[in-house]
Amino acid sequence: MSYRAAVVGAGITDATSPRKQQLSAVELCQQATWAALDHAGTTPDTLDGIVVGNIDGFEGTVLGARNLTRALGLGADLPVTIINTGGTTGGNLMQVAARMVRSGSHARVLCLGGPTFFGVRDLQSAINTNSPMIIEQPLGMGAYHMGAFAANAYRQRYGLTPEDLAAVVVADHEKASRNPHAHLRYTVTEDEVVNGRPLSSPLTQPMVCPVSAAAVAMIVADADDVDGLRSTPALIRAMGMSSDPYLGGGKGDFAEMQNLATLARRVYALADVRDPAAEFDVVEIFAPYAHMQPMQLEALQLAPPGGGVELIRSGATSAGGSLPTNLSGGPKCTNAGVAGELAPYAYAALQVMGAAPEPIQVPGARRALAHGTGGTFFQFENLAIFEALPRSDR
Amino acid sequence: MTTTPTQAVHWDLHYDIHLGATWSRFMDGLRDQKILANVCPACDRVFVPPQAYCESCFERTDRWVELPPEGSLEVFTVAWHGFRGGPTPPYAIGGVRLDGASTLLMHWVIGLDFTEPATLLAQLPAGSRVRAVWAPQRSGQILDIAHFEPARD
Repeated sequence: MSYRAAVVGAGITDATSPRKQQLSAVELCQQATWAALDHAGTTPDTLDGIVVGNIDGFEGTVLGARNLTRALGLGADLPVTIINTGGTTGGNLMQVAARMVRSGSHARVLCLGGPTFFGVRDLQSAINTNSPMIIEQPLGMGAYHMGAFAANAYRQRYGLTPEDLAAVVVADHEKASRNPHAHLRYTVTEDEVVNGRPLSSPLTQPMVCPVSAAAVAMIVADADDVDGLRSTPALIRAMGMSSDPYLGGGKGDFAEMQNLATLARRVYALADVRDPAAEFDVVEIFAPYAHMQPMQLEALQLAPPGGGVELIRSGATSAGGSLPTNLSGGPKCTNAGVAGELAPYAYAALQVMGAAPEPIQVPGARRALAHGTGGTFFQFENLAIFEALPRSDR
Repeated sequence: MTTTPTQAVHWDLHYDIHLGATWSRFMDGLRDQKILANVCPACDRVFVPPQAYCESCFERTDRWVELPPEGSLEVFTVAWHGFRGGPTPPYAIGGVRLDGASTLLMHWVIGLDFTEPATLLAQLPAGSRVRAVWAPQRSGQILDIAHFEPARD
């Protein structure tokens, strides 16, 4: 038989800039882990596995997660699975943990994502080492240079202005200002965003995510074995991942997210979602750059082609709207690497558990969509649908 | 404000990456001013750079073709801000659909007036024709193509 997997606890640390962070990666990971255990109402001895991630090179080490795990203080006998899939490491942590639980080999697994970017002095230079060697790496592309390709293609396809991209940023900052865990908690105006320091056309610095230091942990457990736990589980109703070719040039069309659209159709079918725009109470998507959120909303069938910005401008994706999206402020305002890509899963699960930070909780949220993406040109996508699982024992 | 205690770590590593049969042939072609692509026997898509297998059909590619050094610029960005060890900004990187290719080839694009940032997209709108310019000294690497320049007929 197979088992159902659910998130039964999540812990998110406050985020800071690297410059202000007084804690080490290990200390941040400890904080997130103990917060997740506390939220679930359990102790380390009930865990039977840990899935932890790192991105080799970005942290000045390889297999840093292996050493980190022993330092957490969870005991010496916990089996460790290390995920090392670059930018998608965070999103893949839960996918792997959930498969372990669904298979029946494990019953309670800790997923842990630490800060990945906060030590490197020149992140763009580190990210260039991650781009396809031989063919694309010699051209000099960091993360936002590669991100900018899609921004320009999308702008041209739909005639969007810099102000349209800025509107997405204004909305994200407004949301982040209410999330106690967010890094950039100030609000911005369209003018400030458009006139920010140019990084790679059309992206200005305010259109691009910060480097944050934070950690995120989640406990994925057998959904039908929650005796003694404190939380309302978030059932992982459906999930999946999908990949484009590795070379950036293998993407079919930079103006739309075809790979995400394909994955969404597959995951929606698993959860019997037929009218996505009407069926999610809350959405958390990995959108570190201004153009990504509208493009993703379109690929996820939550906005018509070219209609993402209009949906965001309409207020539908804000608190109180019909489709609250990235109420956390999203990775645009907090991006701590592996922790940053795990964060949409943690926030979405917390929403249906009724345990999101109070200022961003969607009242009565029952079904949530969570998304992660990574790869130099965002070739890799992951997606999950959570549903509140009312406890039969209360 | 308290200072954040940090200590420096430095990596300085060199690697020799084995190109393999498929990319060796591509690189040999570049040295001879030829852009070689290969074709999936199942879906007929044409890959440049070439690949040993089709990632969609999982078929081994079998047929080689030479593509013209011209194509359409589908997308580009101007890097206003670079990074240590990278090219000196500003520079433009684009995705070029060579005539007959199913994939984009990423490369530098010249011919933009960087003093007019607001008109960048209008200067080279999607679909603009571009042509490869060969480096005078070629050693079998992607920068044997120096860059692409606008091909104004």
